[in-house]
Amino acid sequence: MENSRRHFLKSTCALVAGVSVYPLSRDQANADTGIRINNLKYAMLHDETKCIGCNACVEACREVNHVPEGVTRLSIEQSGPYGKYPNQYYHFSRHSCQHCEDAPCVNVCPTGAAFIDKENGIVSVNADKCVGCQYCILACPYDVRFINPVTKAADKCDFCRETNLKQDKQPACVEACPTKALVFGNLKDPESELVMLLKANPTQRTKLDLGTRPKLFRITAKQGEIIL
Amino acid sequence: MSRNNWLLMLSVGVLSFALMSQGANSADSTEQINNDSCMKCHKRNGAMQGHHAQEQLKMSCSSCHGEQGNHPKKPNDLMVFSVENDMTIDTKNGVCLKCHSPKKIAQAEWTHNVHAQKVSCTSCHKLHPESDPIMGLGAKDSSNVCRNCHTVQR
Ligand code: SF4
Ligand code: SF4
Ligand code: SF4
Repeated sequence: MENSRRHFLKSTCALVAGVSVYPLSRDQANADTGIRINNLKYAMLHDETKCIGCNACVEACREVNHVPEGVTRLSIEQSGPYGKYPNQYYHFSRHSCQHCEDAPCVNVCPTGAAFIDKENGIVSVNADKCVGCQYCILACPYDVRFINPVTKAADKCDFCRETNLKQDKQPACVEACPTKALVFGNLKDPESELVMLLKANPTQRTKLDLGTRPKLFRITAKQGEIIL
Repeated sequence: MSRNNWLLMLSVGVLSFALMSQGANSADSTEQINNDSCMKCHKRNGAMQGHHAQEQLKMSCSSCHGEQGNHPKKPNDLMVFSVENDMTIDTKNGVCLKCHSPKKIAQAEWTHNVHAQKVSCTSCHKLHPESDPIMGLGAKDSSNVCRNCHTVQR
């Protein structure tokens, strides 16, 4: 116990410089004491310092998850240009479902169509149960849900739960990203690239004050950092 | 034949004549630049058919490639925009920027801004073919253009 507490203190200190401190070590402490509830909790990281705004992620998602034109599960929001010609640059940030641990969309859904997969923490939609009342769309503070014009059900990013994950592949957007700006992984696996990056970098999540506990992390771009 | 029918035929005739002469016009519009004295030797390079060949723009080969000077002797000052050429990006792009202001091209496509001094215009744009292959690419194809250069090793 002493040991894990020291470990906890150590890794917390390492993160003090960071903008947000995600309690990764708590899960490790759980593992030490043998209280393993489940050991899969998916999350994603968008490294904005690497993103070039190419939208390959958006196109790959559309193709793999059969997202019709006119709607999308993710978008790359562009701001800029900053700086003076010819040394201008832009910022890009990913807009998509945050896979909230306390998800307002799930809480308001009257039919149980919006649900959290207990196995892995993915927030998903059961299209067969969805009646299209759109409560979830209103409730989502991140404005990422939409009605799929083909299925007529609420839709959004599900970390490719029905497609690539079933085939043991990385999510389509992650696979497609040419600069490796997107990293998907298991928050409970301390060896995962995701957790390593979260420990090594200051990261941010949006609207933390709402208590939704979102799981989309971002490494924010500093001025002029996109040099690729 | 009733008078109405006659009028109809006349207008069809006039219309088709107008269309034909317009067709002939557009076929002719690149004639001037392709009769450029350069073409006496450079026929094998194919014709200049792109947007810049329009007669109205009054451009010649030398508008972009520079005056003949010493050519075909070497060395000469002609500008060749191929990848193997050792012209600097700034020199190459300076030719396009004579007419295309950075502000305007940025409005048309944001990627112009970020590549201003890093990539030459001709890396993406082809001026000689009838249509520039980079123009009007769909979302997926334009992402692929980015990926051609920006892919990191996994
Ligand atoms: S971001 Fe919106 S859709 Fe995604 S889990 Fe949170 S509330 Fe639900
Ligand atoms: S994880 Fe899958 S569903 Fe979510 S944005 Fe990426 S490709 Fe689309
Ligand atoms: S594919 Fe990668 S680099 Fe391109 S826009 Fe998406 S996150 Fe950014």
